[in-house]
Amino acid sequence: MNQVLIVGGGPAGLTAAKTLVDRGTEVVLVERKESLGGMARELTCKGLVECRNCGVCFAMDRAGEILREPNAEVLLLSEVASATKADHGYSVKIKTAPRYITDDCIGCGKCVAVCPVEGKAIFPPTGSGQPRLHWIDKSKCLHFKKGKCDKCASVCPTHAVDFEDRAKNITRNVNAVVYATGIDPIDACEMSRLGCGILKDVVSSVDAERILNEKGRLMRPSDGKAPKKIAVMQCVGSRTVKVGVEYCSKFCCKYATKMSQLLLDTDPDINLDFYFMDLRTLYEPQDEFKLWAKSKKTVKLIRSMPSVVLPGKDGKLLLRAAGETDLDITETEYDLIILSVGMRPSGASAELAKSLGIQTDKSGFAVANHELESKGVFVCGAVSEPMDIEETAVRAAATVSKMHHQKEVGT
Amino acid sequence: MKARIQVVLCKCCTEMPKLLNMEKLQKLAEDSSMVVSVMTVDAVCDGKDLARIVGEAKEREIDRAVVLACHKKDISPNLLKAYRRAGINEFLIELVNMREEVVLPHADEPERAQAKAETKLKAALTRAIMLAPLEKQSEEMKTKNVVIVGAGVAGQAAAHEAAKSGAHTVLLEKTSKSLKVPGVIMTHAQLVGASGYGGNFQLKIKAGEKVEELGAAAVVIATGGGWTTLKGPLAKAVKDAVPLYKFYEHMQSGMVPKGPVVIVDTPDPAGKTMKVQDYAWDDTLETVIQLKKKHPELLVYVIFQEMRAFGLSELAYKEAADLGVRFIRYDKAGAPKIDAKNPIALTVKDFSQGEVLDLKFGTLVFASIPANQDNQMIADALRIPMTVDGSIRRGSIQRWPVTTPKPGIFVCGSALFPKSRELAKAEGEAAGTMAGQFVKRGMIEYGGSVAQVTPEKCSACLTCIRTCPYEAPFIGAANKAEIKVQACQGCGMCVGICPSKAIDLHHYTDDQVMEEARTLLGGDF
Amino acid sequence: MAERKPKVIGFCCEKHGMDAAVLSARSGKQFDASVRLVQVPCTGRVDGIHILKALEDGADSVFVLGCLEKNCYYDTGSIEGRKRVEYVKQMLSEVGIEKERVEMFNAASTNAWAFPEIVSKMVGVAKKLGPIGGEKQ
Repeated sequence: MNQVLIVGGGPAGLTAAKTLVDRGTEVVLVERKESLGGMARELTCKGLVECRNCGVCFAMDRAGEILREPNAEVLLLSEVASATKADHGYSVKIKTAPRYITDDCIGCGKCVAVCPVEGKAIFPPTGSGQPRLHWIDKSKCLHFKKGKCDKCASVCPTHAVDFEDRAKNITRNVNAVVYATGIDPIDACEMSRLGCGILKDVVSSVDAERILNEKGRLMRPSDGKAPKKIAVMQCVGSRTVKVGVEYCSKFCCKYATKMSQLLLDTDPDINLDFYFMDLRTLYEPQDEFKLWAKSKKTVKLIRSMPSVVLPGKDGKLLLRAAGETDLDITETEYDLIILSVGMRPSGASAELAKSLGIQTDKSGFAVANHELESKGVFVCGAVSEPMDIEETAVRAAATVSKMHHQKEVGT
Repeated sequence: MKARIQVVLCKCCTEMPKLLNMEKLQKLAEDSSMVVSVMTVDAVCDGKDLARIVGEAKEREIDRAVVLACHKKDISPNLLKAYRRAGINEFLIELVNMREEVVLPHADEPERAQAKAETKLKAALTRAIMLAPLEKQSEEMKTKNVVIVGAGVAGQAAAHEAAKSGAHTVLLEKTSKSLKVPGVIMTHAQLVGASGYGGNFQLKIKAGEKVEELGAAAVVIATGGGWTTLKGPLAKAVKDAVPLYKFYEHMQSGMVPKGPVVIVDTPDPAGKTMKVQDYAWDDTLETVIQLKKKHPELLVYVIFQEMRAFGLSELAYKEAADLGVRFIRYDKAGAPKIDAKNPIALTVKDFSQGEVLDLKFGTLVFASIPANQDNQMIADALRIPMTVDGSIRRGSIQRWPVTTPKPGIFVCGSALFPKSRELAKAEGEAAGTMAGQFVKRGMIEYGGSVAQVTPEKCSACLTCIRTCPYEAPFIGAANKAEIKVQACQGCGMCVGICPSKAIDLHHYTDDQVMEEARTLLGGDF
Repeated sequence: MAERKPKVIGFCCEKHGMDAAVLSARSGKQFDASVRLVQVPCTGRVDGIHILKALEDGADSVFVLGCLEKNCYYDTGSIEGRKRVEYVKQMLSEVGIEKERVEMFNAASTNAWAFPEIVSKMVGVAKKLGPIGGEKQ
């Protein structure tokens, strides 16, 4: 095994890449987005003083590490156009989109401030993504659309804007392919009765994490005030028949309970109501969160799935839910509501996956099997089944072990 | 103390963006009597510039260097390699982070930034003069043995993967299981003691009546869950209750269970007898689905507090319910009870309906996987930490999964935290492959920035021994603390805590740290 | 006479402590130039005497920044670091020096917001309390 292609730079791809590089194998890591880390880029560390084992720093530390590995070729803003079976494994064609920013970029953000486009056309790396370089979206950029505008270039203190950057077509010959394209969060707006996208102070867990990662505090989007009464709702989009998905997304309880603990660490005055069906905290006794909630007098666990969120008085929100054991409907007022959304596999049915022979199960997840593996195609990470970052790391390491000792000796 | 220092200024890190006055920094360096070479290069990470640096270093016969650049992690491997070619020990290179500590964060204060940069240069020169060359050493791993404690699902997977990397696997199994595994399997064997460090452990194994000594390069703990010894009031009341995996085995061998079949999450609903446990819900759901498909007329109940059917096994939950399995939730207030004098029915309060149900059962099954009681013995033998709940504690999550704080000792499966078999197997594979790769190196690298005791100052208070997670300090023949260098990770915890100040850390000695701090505080900006 | 600028010094671990500082700088965050950083392998290395000597050498406030507890690269190091800081705070209060001058912080490598907040807090303490035994600003 001399060179391996890894499709996807999220926790699975990164762990697989680092494991392979540590064994002396060369790696070509192709990531669609502008930075490494996958969904972990936007997730926040959930500890304030004490670590809560969410795994986000594990993924992001690997991202930083892989960029320093001489044996790892990292291609960002890139997609695998084709992977054709050959004697040695696969002949791979990769398209790299131009970033238009050189690595002289210092991340100061002056370019973003002067960009005249509505919603901006130049962006910093998402969340804590590595490397810390900005990037330009050609489809939004006036320099390309209108042929003029170089505000960002003229304000950049290190002259890092390079409008002459061009797309590249790269060919690589690899022995094996690791398909680790990860997940997309379920759009909370699908559950329209819960007010996401309509009511400003109803945020999805992804948004809440993004804000916490950026600012360290979660403020009400409507008026910027600190929320004192928060509702966290689980299983939004998961375990549901009508909208979303039927399976359980596995990591949401873990992340939401830890985020709740973080919110209370930051502001012990917060009243938090946790709405859930089953408490599926991973690697933790089922009672642990319940005991923590009991010790914090202001946290309630409510085994009920709220049906509707309505605008309340004075800019608050009204949440309607049935009782745990009786069917009494109650309406409770909150300052902020966090909807814990689940995930869908990303890229499991993409053209590339199909061309590699990867099939999907009835829930849309990419299926790994021996036949594919004997041909040098491996699937790992959350694209194959719901899993959190820690499990992803374990499975990626296990996948790498499968890879070696596949065919001939001389690994 | 005479030194011949080379100062390298990296333009990319110090002039991007233009904030600092490079000439002034160069002049400051040149003015130092210890500096014999001052170079400005475009980018210290560029190969051509490194070659120039090495050339100049050799020519000027420098003995140490100060490099003003960016974050250590980003430049040091190549830089240190380059300096090695010039004959400079890696511990004599002082890297100053100008970029992230001065240039980037103080963009609007050029004067203060300049003064700060000059102070940092002075501090780096001061520190560089105090540095001493240090040698890393290697020791051969005496064996290629990977000892795996436990031949369950995780242990067997670990053995297969470790063997792939050329390790010689020794499985320790406390029962008399006979299995086909690579390497060797020792039955009726328990790990009772250990000494040494990752790469060269000396283990004490009790096999039957004898205690054997065995060398090992790595250890994988795969003791599994304690599902065979279920304790609690429900288990006490029903003597022939079966753990889930036993029930599954019986089913596979064709036995028709006596109905109704009642599967309870734990024999200890009040949680008083067993510490941490999780429930093999995905295995349970698979079992009841098969059961209902084979015997649709059989009454099957699943009694639980939380239905932890993670991920895709949620679909099995739905399928089981569709097949007619009755799921009954309870909470602590209405926990299931069985009359020990007449153990024919389970009484439980259905959480949703509020009714108290009296479920007659023909077979009682427990789905819980508690922590294994052997974990304590293993943790004591290897002196690794446990969680308060009785599992083996994992090392920090920023490091790799399935590892313990001690290098060379891995942990997987339900020993780490009770879990389902499928995930335990994946963890076993991961731990086995990591152990195999660890052993493949064949050598332990150690030394360099390690701790050292000055015996005359040591009062043998044992504080360092209690503090070190790696068992590097020990009381030696002279009744004074000594450091086992092979185990020392260079963190300096023992150094910081020693009340007699008898230990110091090479490369981060008290003098070096305090002098650097003093010089930095001496600057006016 | 020019106003004396505050002097703040921080002992950062080379793992998440430094990572947090570097990430914030690479995210365009600005922080007060008064802060000096000394890198140590682990905050467990920090000795009470380092902190006290720093105060003696002119620091108005001192902080120690390490990995989150239970996520220390060296397992228990940042817990040790905090013990040291608590010990020094105790000693300071016994000799009549304000405890707030010395503080322990924990950060993860993904927090770009943490380091500037830490610097801001410690510079604030330095400005409020002024030099030890000197005139308050």
